[in-house]
Amino acid sequence: MTNLLTLITFVPLFGALAILAVPKEKTKAIHAIGLIAAAISFVLSLLALGQFDKASSAMQLVEKAAWIPSFGVNYHLGIDGLSLPMVLLTTLLTLVSLIFSMSVENRVKEYWFWFLVLDVGMLGVFVSLDFFLFYVFWELTLVPMYFLIGIWGGPKKEFAAIKFFLYTLFGSVFMLLGILALYFTSTPHTFDITELMKLHPGWSESFQITLFIAFYLGFAIKVPAFPFHTWLPLAHVEAPTAVSVILAGVLLKMGGYGLLRVSYSVLPLGFKWFLPILIVIAFINIVYGALCAMAQTDMKKMVAYSSVNHMGYCLLGLAGVTATGFNGAVMQMVAHGLVTGALFLLVGVIYDRAHTRDMSAFGGLGAKLPIYTALMTVTVFASLGLPGLAGFVGEFLCFLGAFQRFKLFTALSVLGILVTAAFFLRMIQKVFLGPLNQKWANLEDMSWREIIAVAPLTALTVYLGVWPRPALDLMNPTINNMIQSLAAVFK
Amino acid sequence: MLEHVYLIPLLPLAAAVTLVFLGKEGPHSKMPFLSVATMGWCLLQSSAILWSAMTGAAHLPYAASMPWFEFGEYPMSLGVLIDGPAAMMLFVVTLVSFLMQVYSIAYMHGDPRFKRYFAYVSFFTASMLGLVVSSNLLVVFSCWELMGVSSYLLIGFWFEKPGPAYASKKAFITTKVGDLGFYLGMLIIFAYAGTFDLTMLRERVAMGAAYLPAHAATAAGLCLLFGAVGKSAQWPLFIWLPDAMEGPTPVSALIHAATMVAAGIYLVARTYFIYQASPLAMDAVAWIGLVTAFMAASMALVSYDIKRVLAFSTVSQLGYMMLALGVGGYSAGLFHLTTHAFFKALLFLGAGSVIHSVHSNDMREMGGLSKKMIVTFATMTIATLAIAGFPFSSGYYSKEAVLGAVYAHSPAMWAAALFTAAMTTFYMFRLIFMTFLGEARDHEKEHHAHESPALMTIPLCVLAVLSVCSGWILEHFGLVEHLFGLPSAVVHGAEHAAKAVEAAGAAAEHGAAAANHAAGHPASHPAFLVPAALSAFAAGLGISWKLYASGDFTTATKIKQTFGPVFTLLEKRYYFDDFFLFLVDLSDRLAAACFWVDANIVDRIFVDGWGLVTILLAEIENFIDAVFVDGLVDASGWVSRQAGAGLRTLVTGQVQEYLLYVALAVSVFIIQMLTMR
Repeated sequence: MTNLLTLITFVPLFGALAILAVPKEKTKAIHAIGLIAAAISFVLSLLALGQFDKASSAMQLVEKAAWIPSFGVNYHLGIDGLSLPMVLLTTLLTLVSLIFSMSVENRVKEYWFWFLVLDVGMLGVFVSLDFFLFYVFWELTLVPMYFLIGIWGGPKKEFAAIKFFLYTLFGSVFMLLGILALYFTSTPHTFDITELMKLHPGWSESFQITLFIAFYLGFAIKVPAFPFHTWLPLAHVEAPTAVSVILAGVLLKMGGYGLLRVSYSVLPLGFKWFLPILIVIAFINIVYGALCAMAQTDMKKMVAYSSVNHMGYCLLGLAGVTATGFNGAVMQMVAHGLVTGALFLLVGVIYDRAHTRDMSAFGGLGAKLPIYTALMTVTVFASLGLPGLAGFVGEFLCFLGAFQRFKLFTALSVLGILVTAAFFLRMIQKVFLGPLNQKWANLEDMSWREIIAVAPLTALTVYLGVWPRPALDLMNPTINNMIQSLAAVFK
Repeated sequence: MLEHVYLIPLLPLAAAVTLVFLGKEGPHSKMPFLSVATMGWCLLQSSAILWSAMTGAAHLPYAASMPWFEFGEYPMSLGVLIDGPAAMMLFVVTLVSFLMQVYSIAYMHGDPRFKRYFAYVSFFTASMLGLVVSSNLLVVFSCWELMGVSSYLLIGFWFEKPGPAYASKKAFITTKVGDLGFYLGMLIIFAYAGTFDLTMLRERVAMGAAYLPAHAATAAGLCLLFGAVGKSAQWPLFIWLPDAMEGPTPVSALIHAATMVAAGIYLVARTYFIYQASPLAMDAVAWIGLVTAFMAASMALVSYDIKRVLAFSTVSQLGYMMLALGVGGYSAGLFHLTTHAFFKALLFLGAGSVIHSVHSNDMREMGGLSKKMIVTFATMTIATLAIAGFPFSSGYYSKEAVLGAVYAHSPAMWAAALFTAAMTTFYMFRLIFMTFLGEARDHEKEHHAHESPALMTIPLCVLAVLSVCSGWILEHFGLVEHLFGLPSAVVHGAEHAAKAVEAAGAAAEHGAAAANHAAGHPASHPAFLVPAALSAFAAGLGISWKLYASGDFTTATKIKQTFGPVFTLLEKRYYFDDFFLFLVDLSDRLAAACFWVDANIVDRIFVDGWGLVTILLAEIENFIDAVFVDGLVDASGWVSRQAGAGLRTLVTGQVQEYLLYVALAVSVFIIQMLTMR
């Protein structure tokens, strides 16, 4: 198939349009259309994985067509070892989120419509090789997210939605300025990311630094990097479960992906200049994020802050500028997507039943809900970096990569691991251990729908933890090439 | 046989997974037999490996590996590395686990989570076995962590009770503190040596500064030691082990004898070449060991909980092993690790038998049990003799080896270790006397007491035999040096260490002793070492007999009253628990402070503040807009309107008026023309 990437990206859009044509009472049909669209997109992305040449670091499955020739804007898609893992993560998480979302009863049609549009935006970001297109998709994710949080969210949903929207928009405006600056500096003017990657030797350091800061604002807010992270706990707490999964699992990855694809590759001198600051930010994200998580009593907010901590590992891996660290960062993004996605689903499971997420309201659920307890325990241990589960591989490689460049801050960041273990185990103790709180004597274990949504993520977490080879082999050649081609700059 | 050694950890793992997913849970589930049978098979395999290692039929070290994954230019491999200590540990771990599982069939029978218990135990054993055989430090670490999880699950097995729920968390977090050291140690090792493969690492470390300069070796050694301190419950991280008693008693036997706590010692032994490259790290090992041995023994003196006494004794004996490793007594340390596994497993299983019978941990409620539980009494006494170092028992040989190595390093340390040995004898016989001799103090409990079933007593007897003769066998046939002697490849490292010591002008004996041991020639010890150890034994036994054998504790109580503050200090475990609770509290406060900053400063001021400023700016703009800009617009409108209104009075629509205006204008015009003229 020559247009595989186009299909992967736009099949959900067809699904969304088809849903518009269905009367809103027919929720079964809406579910079916949405699930089929997401499933097709997922299967196609697996097909892309099959066609992908793992040994090559080049852009593959490239599609290129002129879009607005007068401005040099092209419809240019392609994937390499950096974007393919993200595409797979997106299609998988969208599918399981939609399965989980079958319990949504309010305004079903609009919910599924927006969810599929969101999917298009996210996939587009990861496959675009043209800045104009990239920006369009980047902004496209905002609108559905705004509605998904603002309509189907919790008590403070409107505030959370507006804050999320404005905050991310604020960042992307600077990114747009950066894109325009790149466009006008290049001769002939181009939006092509792969072309722009080759131009940095001709640019002065100060120019690169300025542009780096502009792009960094856009990406750092997404990651989220301290101090731009405060939209995240609010948005997560207010968002409906499946939206939290996408938010943590995919949207944050757009930041990390951007830092690698744009900040590092297009503006290496700016990236280099920023490294001493980046390592401190990574350290703050890790330790401070973990400490903030420890102060929470709301499980969802705790998981949200743990994302700040986990994305800190990613930043740590980036700051190392070694193949090891970059592998770690991408692996960590994948693992965090799987693990935190599952965590949000699991918190959603208990919230749907108990209508509270306050840890101290529970107690002793371990004997009552064995399946739930088992899945939660495995996921929590993955999140706190237990070897044999996916979280460890990414995290460890991040540390390993960063330690070669920054010894002190990397060593200090290790403390974050301890704090993470502390707050997760406390959560386990409060919710599952001890005597059963009689208030929950009638709580039911997970339904099939919920198990089907969570189990694939858990299975992948175990698989990639024991045998990380498939994921690492996918990204390693691309990352090696990225490191080697800029080795002179970062010496 | 050796080529399939990887099955030894993998099969118990498979058994654990099978037990989790298959079969029916319940108090009489038959699934646990799968786990026991698997462990039995592993025990047979391990025995065969050990036998061929002892006879020299197998050529050790044996290494094999397969690629695991790659990142950047670095390959990681999954592999096995079997040397003498590994072969011995395989045997010890599988034996203790097998006996403990047989024992558990009786002990745990009737528990509603009977099947799950065996799944966890299998998983636990698999992790330890994986740690023992792995050739890759990263895999060692992974198994190390998995063991932490299994201990978490097993200590908290009865999680409905708050005690186990708390203790399991405490154990996990405390050992995790140590794990951070291991983690950092790996980062350092990789940053300098660029590999986790133990064989390759050994070669690179031997090359010295080209890979691992002295300061890096010291840092790496200290970090790894910190990891071992957490896992092996050494000072100051020993606080988790007494609480770990909340788990089922057979689990304690497994944790204390063969898995978990042994892992720390094994790690230091496995990475011994790093310590040989750093005299400082080596000394740290010795000191940590000595302090731990002494402190733990002193805490055991005053405890009344039978399992806690044993827990402290484990900590103390592990300190002994650390001390031995730290003073260069590599083979002595591993020797003691081996013999200790037998008698400590026996002691815990014996204690479990007692607890099973009287349903209490408190020795003050026991007494006089020897008549009712003769097998338990006899086997536990044998183990006590062994741990106290009674001549020709297993502990005698290994303890002599440890003390000899310590004396060669520093007579002062030897004296402290000897004093600790005396304390050990004292508190162990105190335990035996209080539990089994004298009159029953709680007749209700004594009345119900009975000997445990054969499934429990047979493992005791097997371990008792090993507690008696394992030391003699290993010593007599020269197996200690054969199995635990440092491999020749490391002599490089030892010489390097010796040179480094001389260059630094440090104690020359240290290097000599280290080199001596490394080369496989134990230093000859002065003749008075054995008599000194025997008198320490006699002193400990004598005082214990005097105070506790009769069942009349008045003298003991009097002593306790006289030295009240000392007793309180010991009973409070030197306030280390309180200190760590303080740290926990501190971190909670720190967390709360961080969150306050996040919510009130970062978010409210920087983010919402931005929003507010924007809104404020908009308001100001709005005001300016309304008052000035719009005012100006309105003003011009007003002017034209006023002008219009004024002018409107002139425009009435009456033609005659317009004609009048025209006439007037024309007249004015004409008048002007006329006057100008």
